[in-house]
Amino acid sequence: MQAYQDLREFLSVLESERLLLRIADHVNLEPDLAAAACALTKLDEASPAILFNNVAGYHSAQVAMNVHGSWPNHALALGMDRSASLRDQFFEFVRRYQQYPGELERVASAPWQETVIDKDVNLYDLMPLFRLNRGDGGYFIDKPCVISRDPDDWDNDDVENVGVYRLQVKGRNRLGIQTVPQHDIAVHLAHAEERGEDLHIAIALGNEPLITLMGATPMLYTQLEYKMAGAMQGKPYRVVKTAKGLDVPWGSEYVLEGRILGGQRETEGPFGEFPGYYSGCHQYPVIEIDRVSHRKNPIFDAVYVGRPWTEIDYLQAMTTSAPIFVQLHATFPEVLAVNALYTHGLVVIVSTRTRYGGFAKAVGMRVLTTTHGLGYAKIVIVVDADVDPFDLRQVMWALSVKVNPAGDLLVLPNLSENLLDPACEPGGMASKMIIDATTPIAPDKRGDYGQELDTPQNTDVWLKKLDTLVKGLGK
Amino acid sequence: MNQMGSVCPRCRSGTVEVQSTSPVAGIWTVYHCKTCLYAWRSTEPEENTDPDKYPAPFRLNPDDLAKLPVAPTIPPRR
Repeated sequence: MQAYQDLREFLSVLESERLLLRIADHVNLEPDLAAAACALTKLDEASPAILFNNVAGYHSAQVAMNVHGSWPNHALALGMDRSASLRDQFFEFVRRYQQYPGELERVASAPWQETVIDKDVNLYDLMPLFRLNRGDGGYFIDKPCVISRDPDDWDNDDVENVGVYRLQVKGRNRLGIQTVPQHDIAVHLAHAEERGEDLHIAIALGNEPLITLMGATPMLYTQLEYKMAGAMQGKPYRVVKTAKGLDVPWGSEYVLEGRILGGQRETEGPFGEFPGYYSGCHQYPVIEIDRVSHRKNPIFDAVYVGRPWTEIDYLQAMTTSAPIFVQLHATFPEVLAVNALYTHGLVVIVSTRTRYGGFAKAVGMRVLTTTHGLGYAKIVIVVDADVDPFDLRQVMWALSVKVNPAGDLLVLPNLSENLLDPACEPGGMASKMIIDATTPIAPDKRGDYGQELDTPQNTDVWLKKLDTLVKGLGK
Repeated sequence: MNQMGSVCPRCRSGTVEVQSTSPVAGIWTVYHCKTCLYAWRSTEPEENTDPDKYPAPFRLNPDDLAKLPVAPTIPPRR
């Protein structure tokens, strides 16, 4: 475990691990920044973070992208060894996630208080805003932590919320926000609007990597992301209170304070979203920014979103898999691991022990009734305990030989689904599928699975010996 | 081709205003359409700045804006 105090510390760790590229060349906001970040995702699976410091039209702007954009970066964000396998990252994430609650530590001041602008705010002057994809309706702040409290329960820390919600810049101090109805901030906004009030919020931008992962994790309404971050990093999470009483990470680069305007909706979008399609336009809530604080020479942090895989897929990988596993495991202790890495868990692969015929299908149905399953999981593949759900070669083998569609395929018509899934018909509704790729067991007698191959005697001994010899070949 | 900043590339409304200019003077200008809220920068590729080259799938008709789905819905006052 390791606690990074801010984004700068994490970038220096990435640099020492040769996972940070500094670009001093002069770049245009469009299309260079998005094009470079997109290109990084096509390099290989260890693509580095990238930091630009010579941006057209700005004196000293810095833009960081792809900070979470590889498995080594993700492992380092969790304070693990950069070479940690997907399986190891999953189990470590789950182990720490179940340590909730950790602690938060409130301190009086933070580096982001160095510079304050509280009149005539012009976001374009303060941060290098740029378009990511050509059909985007404007410039988006797409990797923020948005902090809010419940107006009906203002002093209750446990229902304070930190969430990553896209923000469209619509004016010099005006933003649009996507508050997905299932997310906690929508509860806060609804309570404010029922009271006829605006909802005070803080927007923290340019954060150490863990709180961004926590903000992207669908945890319970009564779980505070800072306390989860404290559990995940094994050390209290340091925050500073704003004048309105909102807790903000100590290490943020920028802090924007303002209000979601009660009762107002306005055209927003489109924005290229995680399924690899644009979101379309909606009437979404609006924010007015009253005050901006930032560190000296602040770093603007953004995530490129494109056709998967891009950086956003790392942000919603283990953060999706772990909560599904915890909920599933509470009902079925036989469940061993959950891989929901693909497109925010539209596809979920579960490995489980099976107790009797039909058991895997029950596990699959429970996936669909988890919190995430209600809006995302659309195709559930259930595999045996000896199939690693993170190794797609093994999963494909299970699909190849364990599945007889006549008895292993369940299609459930017209279930709820995330609006952003382009397969929905109508929007918000889709049929879902469970594929039982486990070995049939009694009383399910289908197929002939009595003579499965295993490995020759002493394979393990030879594996160890040959692994050592192979590693010596390059020396 | 329309003069930059006179017509919105997305909805072709004439309700365009300058939203900001570059902190280093003279490098770029950001325009903003008060009708459909589209924003664009003078230095972007023509697809984003020229109404005739703006991609068809993303064009908007100002008359349709009021019909966009509202999310989340606005709850009644207590």
